[in-house]
Amino acid sequence: MRTYIAKRFLQVIPLLFGISFLTFLLLQLAPGDFLNQMAENPAISPATIDAMRRRFGLDQPWYFQYWLYLQNVILHFDFGESFSRHQPVFTVMREGLSNTLILAGAAAVVTWGLAIPLGVWAAVRQYSWIDKGLSLVAFVWLSIPEILSGLLLLMLAARTGWFPVGGMRSIDYDDLNGFGKFADVSWHLALPALVVGLVPLASRMRQMRGNLLDVLRLDFVTTARAKGLDEGIVIYKHAVRNALNPMITLFGYTLGALVSGSFIAEIIFSWPGLGRLTLDAILTQDQYLVMGSVLMASVVLILGNLIADLLLAIADPRISYD
Amino acid sequence: MKSFLKSAICMFALAAVACGGRKSEGPAFQDPHPLPEEPMVMRAASIGRYGGRFVLAETSGPKTFNAMMANETSSTDLTDQMFIGLANFDNGTQEETPFLAKTWEVAPDGLTWTFHLRKGAAFSDGHPITAEDVLFSFTVAYDEVVHPSVQDLLIMNGKKWEVTAPDPYTVVIKTPGPNAMVVSSASSVRIMPKHVLEAPFKSGNFVSAYNVSSPPDTIVTSGAWRVKQYVPGEKTVLTRNPYFFGIDTEKHRLPYLDELVYLVVPDQDAADLKFRSGEVDGIDNVKPENYRWYEDHQKEGNYTLHNLGPSLNTNFFWFNQNRVQKASPGKKVGDPQVDPVKYAWFNNPVFRRAVSLAVDREAMIPSIFFGDAVKNWSQSTPANKVWYSADVVKFDFNLAEAKKLIASLHWVDKDGDGFVEDTSGHTVGFNLKTNSDNKMRVSMANFIRDDLAKIGVKVNLVPVDFNTLIVNLREDFQYEAILLGLQSGVPPDPAMGQNVWRSSGKTHYWNMAQLSPETPQEARIDALMDTLVSTPDLEKRKAAWKEVQNIVNDQGWIVWLPTLNTKLPLRNRFGNTEPSVIPHRLIWNIERVYVKPSGAQP
Repeated sequence: MRTYIAKRFLQVIPLLFGISFLTFLLLQLAPGDFLNQMAENPAISPATIDAMRRRFGLDQPWYFQYWLYLQNVILHFDFGESFSRHQPVFTVMREGLSNTLILAGAAAVVTWGLAIPLGVWAAVRQYSWIDKGLSLVAFVWLSIPEILSGLLLLMLAARTGWFPVGGMRSIDYDDLNGFGKFADVSWHLALPALVVGLVPLASRMRQMRGNLLDVLRLDFVTTARAKGLDEGIVIYKHAVRNALNPMITLFGYTLGALVSGSFIAEIIFSWPGLGRLTLDAILTQDQYLVMGSVLMASVVLILGNLIADLLLAIADPRISYD
Repeated sequence: MKSFLKSAICMFALAAVACGGRKSEGPAFQDPHPLPEEPMVMRAASIGRYGGRFVLAETSGPKTFNAMMANETSSTDLTDQMFIGLANFDNGTQEETPFLAKTWEVAPDGLTWTFHLRKGAAFSDGHPITAEDVLFSFTVAYDEVVHPSVQDLLIMNGKKWEVTAPDPYTVVIKTPGPNAMVVSSASSVRIMPKHVLEAPFKSGNFVSAYNVSSPPDTIVTSGAWRVKQYVPGEKTVLTRNPYFFGIDTEKHRLPYLDELVYLVVPDQDAADLKFRSGEVDGIDNVKPENYRWYEDHQKEGNYTLHNLGPSLNTNFFWFNQNRVQKASPGKKVGDPQVDPVKYAWFNNPVFRRAVSLAVDREAMIPSIFFGDAVKNWSQSTPANKVWYSADVVKFDFNLAEAKKLIASLHWVDKDGDGFVEDTSGHTVGFNLKTNSDNKMRVSMANFIRDDLAKIGVKVNLVPVDFNTLIVNLREDFQYEAILLGLQSGVPPDPAMGQNVWRSSGKTHYWNMAQLSPETPQEARIDALMDTLVSTPDLEKRKAAWKEVQNIVNDQGWIVWLPTLNTKLPLRNRFGNTEPSVIPHRLIWNIERVYVKPSGAQP
C-alpha cells in the first residue's frame, strides 16, 4: 500500500508540471496583460505603464518568465506575487480556499445526505409513484442552470427575509458568541449549499437506485430471502452495504470536483471563495494568482482521486494495490 | 424532500431571529482629544449626532490600503477616505477647497506656489502631520522604482517639480513652467506618515507596505477614517480617525458615523437585492433598467432614488486613421493601418460628418437607456459645472443632410444592393467593434448599423472581449471603428484628458502618438491644450477648451452618442447626504453624514 501511495505521488509531479505549463501558455495566448486596463486611463502615461511592466517582469519573453516561475517554485517554494495586491499568491488564496471548502463540504452533505436515502427508497419502491416523482423532481432540478436556481433562491431570500441575501457572515458577526457565529454562517450557507448540492443529486440518486436494484437481483439476496430473513435486514444490512461500494469511489472522485463546482454559486451568493478570486484574477490577468489557483484546484482533484482509490481498497477487501 | 426543506427553513429561521437583529446603539462617541490648534470647519446642511454606520456595496474588495499604490476604484474608494491631500475637491461646488493646506498662494512669476499647512493636524496615531510628511510623500511619488501613477501628474515635459519646506508648516512648490493644475495635481499626492513608512521605503518594501493583510492598527492614516477590520472577499470596516482635524460649525469633531462599511457584493443583481432587504444603505451603480423599480418602491423601502442628471461618462465611436509606426512584413512605416481604400473614406471629414448626421440619437434614448439619457457632444458633459458649454459645433441627426453629403462624394448605389459604392466601385462599409460584456454599447452599435444602412453605409457589428478590444486599439490596430466610452477624472478638468486630445497622446484614439501633428487642425488643438494646461486664467482656459471641442466635432473625429442619466438610491435615515455625479458619488462627504434620530424621518 505504501509503495502504491508513493508511486502515485511521484506521478503527480510531471502532471503538475504539465498543468502549470499549459496554464502559463494559455495565459500568454490570451490577448493583453494585467496592465491593459490601466492603459485605458488617460491620466496614466505610457512611461508609468512601462515601469510597471518592468517591475512585474512582464517585459521579458514568456518562456523566460515561466523559467523564473519554475525556479522560484522549485527552489524556494515561492509561487509569486499577485500583481494587484502586492502580496504572495498563497496569502491571497488561503482564506478563499477555506471558504470554498466550507461551501463544498456543505454541498456534499446535501448531495449525499439526500442521494443515498432517496436512492434506496426509490429502489425499494421501484416504478411506484414515489420512484417516478423523485426522479422527476431530481431531473427538473438537474436541468435548471445553477445561475437561474441561484438567482431564484436569492429572490426568495429577499422577498421573505427567511435567509440572508448572499454573503457569508452578518455585518454584526463579530458581536456574536460562539454558537451565534456558527448559526450565522450556517444560515448564510443554506442557500448556496442547496444550489451547489442539488445539481449532482439526480445522477447520484439514480446511481444509488440502480446499484441497489442490481444487488437485489443477485443470488445471495435470493438466498437470504429464502432463509426467511426479515426484508428490512435483507435490504439494509446486506443489499445496501454491497450497493454502496461503487458510491464510495464516486464520492472520492467528486471530492476533486467540489472546489471547481461551486464557482458560479460563489459569485451569485457573494461567497468569498476561491472561485471569485480566480475569476477576478483571470479577468484582470493577474497571472501568478491564476497559476496558483489552477495548481491548487489540480492538487485537490488529484488528492480526491487518490482518496477515492484508497477508500475503495478499505471498503472492499477484494481490492488490493500491492 | 418537501418536509426536509420545510424543517430546514424553520431551523434556520430560528437562527435568523437569534442573529438578524440590528446592532444595539452603544453610548455615543465622546471626543477624548482636544481639538487641533487650527481645525477645519466643514460645510454641512445640519449639525449631526454621533453613532451609527453606513453600509456601501462594492463589486470587489480593496487590493491594497497603500494610497500611492492603489490604481483601481475598489481600492481608491477606501484610500481616498483614509489619506488626504493638500487641498480637497468639493463635489458640491466642483472647486478645490482647503484641506491639510489652510491657504495657498502663487507668486507673481506664476511658478512658485506656497501652501500653508494647518497647525495641529495629526495622523491617526496622534503623530503631528508636518511639511516633513508632505516632502516624504512627494519623494515617494517621484521615486523611479515605486513609480506610482500619480507621478504622471507631477512631471512637465520630463521635468520634476521642486518641492521644499522652509518651515514645518510651509510647503513651497516650484514648477518648471506655468501650470494651471498645480493645486489639484499636488493634492493627488496623498499624505503618508513618514515616521511609519520611511523605513520600508528605504529598504525597498514600500510597494507592499500597507497591504490588505497588514494588521489594521499598523495602518496610520491622515484622513477622516482608518481601518478597523478587513475580511477578505467580504467587507472592510473603516472607523473614525480620532485625531482628524475636520469639525462642524459647533466644534464637534468629524466624522459623525462610528463605522463606514464597504460590503463586497460582486454580482450587481445581488447588490440590488441586498439594498431591497435593507442590508445595504446605498449603491453606487444601478442598471438603468432597474431605475423604474427603485422609483416605485421608495416609500416602503424608506429611501430616495436621487436623480443626479447626466453622468460624467461618455459614449462615442471613431474610425481608425492610425498609421504604421514600426515596419513589419507587408507594411512599411507611414502606411495606414486599415485597408487604403477604407482609409481614404475614414480620413475624409465629409464622410465622418455624414455618419454623425445619420445617427438618430433620440431614437436610442427611450429604447436603450429607458428614457434616462441626454444627447452629448463633448467629454465635458452637462454634468460638468465648470467646463460644459451648450453651444459647441455638432452634427446631430439629419438624414437628408447626411444623404446630401454622401451624394457630394459621388458615392452611389450602382448594383442595387442598398449600399453605396465609392468612385472606384468598392461598397462603402466598416466593421464596428465594441466590448461584448457591455450591453448598452452593443445595443447602440446595433442602432448605428440600422441608421447607417439608411444612407447606404454597411456596418458589421463585431462585439469582442474587452481585453481583445484593448489590444486591437492599442497594439495591433486590427479594427476599423470602435465604440467605447471615457470616464472622467477628478477634478473633471479637460487638462486631465490631455492624452486624448493631443496629437502625441497615447489615448488620441483615432490616430495615436503622432510624431508631429498630421493635420493643421490637430496642430491647433495641440497649441490650445498648451494654453489649457499652462494658463491659470480660467476664462482663457475655457475659451481654449471650447475651441478644442469645436474642432474635434467639426472634423467628426469623434462621433458622440448619448450619455446616461445617473440615479442612485440612498436610505432616508441619513442626514447631510449630498450625492453627486462625481466620484465618490455617495460618500464624498461621508464624514459629515449622520444617522437621523428615529422618528425624525420625513
